[in-house]
Amino acid sequence: MKNIQSNILAIVYFLCGIGALLLFWEMSSRFTDGELPGPVPTWEVFSELLKDPFYDFGPNDKGVGLLLWGSLVRVTYGFLLGTLVAVPFGILLGSSKIAMNILNPVVQILKPVSPLAWFPIGLAIFQSAPSATVFIIFITSLWPTLINTAFGVSTVPQDHKNVAKAFGFSKFKYVVKILFPYSLPHIFTGLRLSIGVAWLVIVAGEMLSGGMGIGFFIWDSWNAGSMEKIIGGILIIGIVGLLLDKGFSVLQKSFSYEK
Amino acid sequence: MKNNIEAPTLEMHIKEDLGLTVNSIEIKNVTVSFKTPKGKFDAVKDISLNVRKGEIVSVIGHSGCGKSTLMNTISGMVKPSQGEVLANGKRVTGPGPDRGLVFQNYSLLPWLTVYQNIYEAVDSVLKDLNKSEKKTLVKDTLKMVNLYEHKDKLPGQLSGGMKQRVAIARAFAINPSILLLDEPFGALDALTKSSMHIELLKLWNLDNRDKTIVMVTHDIEEAIFLSDRIVVMNNGPAATVKAIVDVPLIRPRHKKEIVHDPEYMKIHDQLLAMLMDKLSIADIKSNI
Ligand SMILES: Nc1ncnc2c1ncn2[C@@H]1O[C@H](COP(=O)(O)OP(=O)(O)O)[C@@H](O)[C@H]1O
Ligand SMILES: [Mg+2]
Repeated sequence: MKNIQSNILAIVYFLCGIGALLLFWEMSSRFTDGELPGPVPTWEVFSELLKDPFYDFGPNDKGVGLLLWGSLVRVTYGFLLGTLVAVPFGILLGSSKIAMNILNPVVQILKPVSPLAWFPIGLAIFQSAPSATVFIIFITSLWPTLINTAFGVSTVPQDHKNVAKAFGFSKFKYVVKILFPYSLPHIFTGLRLSIGVAWLVIVAGEMLSGGMGIGFFIWDSWNAGSMEKIIGGILIIGIVGLLLDKGFSVLQKSFSYEK
Repeated sequence: MKNNIEAPTLEMHIKEDLGLTVNSIEIKNVTVSFKTPKGKFDAVKDISLNVRKGEIVSVIGHSGCGKSTLMNTISGMVKPSQGEVLANGKRVTGPGPDRGLVFQNYSLLPWLTVYQNIYEAVDSVLKDLNKSEKKTLVKDTLKMVNLYEHKDKLPGQLSGGMKQRVAIARAFAINPSILLLDEPFGALDALTKSSMHIELLKLWNLDNRDKTIVMVTHDIEEAIFLSDRIVVMNNGPAATVKAIVDVPLIRPRHKKEIVHDPEYMKIHDQLLAMLMDKLSIADIKSNI
């Protein structure tokens, strides 16, 4: 009963928030004399786009659904590659003081660099814009996962280590029954942060590379002078980002244990 | 794990045959120092103590005096800075399957169920058993501590007392000849505590009173009810043994009856005096 009530309340709050946003949007539109299109004209253009989102009329004329799909595929590749590298290195950093001392300065220098700065390097290596875009997502996904994995691995509580010591756990048993279960929630925190930043970066990356993805859609709409399309694109990016985050939050919860 | 379960040494057998006492634990001039940011810190200093095979000994003292540290030198979790500890005649260099350990804070793995927590310890220590033998052993041990119905719960879903029973079951399951219990009943309510006392003694009896039990406690009544001897420690730092009190009450002891035993009352007063000597009214006044 309590649950249903709080769910209904959550929906009511959500609708209030959306309502406030729409109101603000409409007012801004009137204030700018329609320079910024209001919700109604945006919806008209936008619903037109959604009627046939997957059409493909050559390289520079694709449906928004197709473009979005392309972005998601590139993010997935980059993110998976990043994860495959970041998790093992994170474990290494977290479990070895020496590795930490050697690699930490490198991480500290590279981490604050905007992933977009890696785009030319990606182009030089792969000679292809799509691959370079995957490359910057790869770089983006490294740091949060690496750092959180290392943190998880290096903070296994003494209590848990004592169990392993007192009962003579083998190295393998220690890793499988203590190290992994303890670090997994931290690793998933890293993954969730990584996917969030990756989704931020893909839009910028595709604006830079051009010709593909939801980032290109925004840029193309600007060139075509359609504010309605730009706002529609922003909404799509926001909603997809939200869904990605929710998905990873579910994963994160399902791999956490009760304290 | 370096130590193996070994049959008592020949020397022990001969001594036993001659009717001599056999020490299952020998603590020889043990000092434990910890490195701290402020320098070396002696937790316990120059402690010597022998515990006979089959004896139940309680260690009692104010919190922070070094009881856990002393226990950990027997279990092998902490290395003495000076002196040595022998367990079953062999020098302790690390934890071993001849010593079962119940940590003060249970130390259960929160992502494993009650069953798995015990199983992983059994699996790791008793390598000679096959899978189904291990499973049966875990189940039997769980029944013994009345936790079988809760075997699939995670530690987070258990009360403090239940967690403590899991920790005890885990130590018992590997059937060690020495049981080291660090405040094992501290989190239990009086009723559960009493029934756990009985369970502990039952297990000890079942085993022909062959198991040696060393237990840390804060509880004077508990110490008297269970022990053959009570080791009272001084306050740290550099804690030493203040006194060892014999408890010559005849077993089996009955909770309701022994409290009226003059011997019991004498020991009780003696212990109370030793632990409370700092808390006379004069002391309190002088502190104000
Ligand atoms: N690993 C450690 N490092 C530094 N000091 C410690 C460590 N373990 C225990 N001590 C110190 O040793 C003293 C005795 O601790 P402990 O044996 O846990 O006491 P008790 O079990 O009697 O409450 C305390 O002052 C404690 O702070
Ligand atoms: Mg203690």
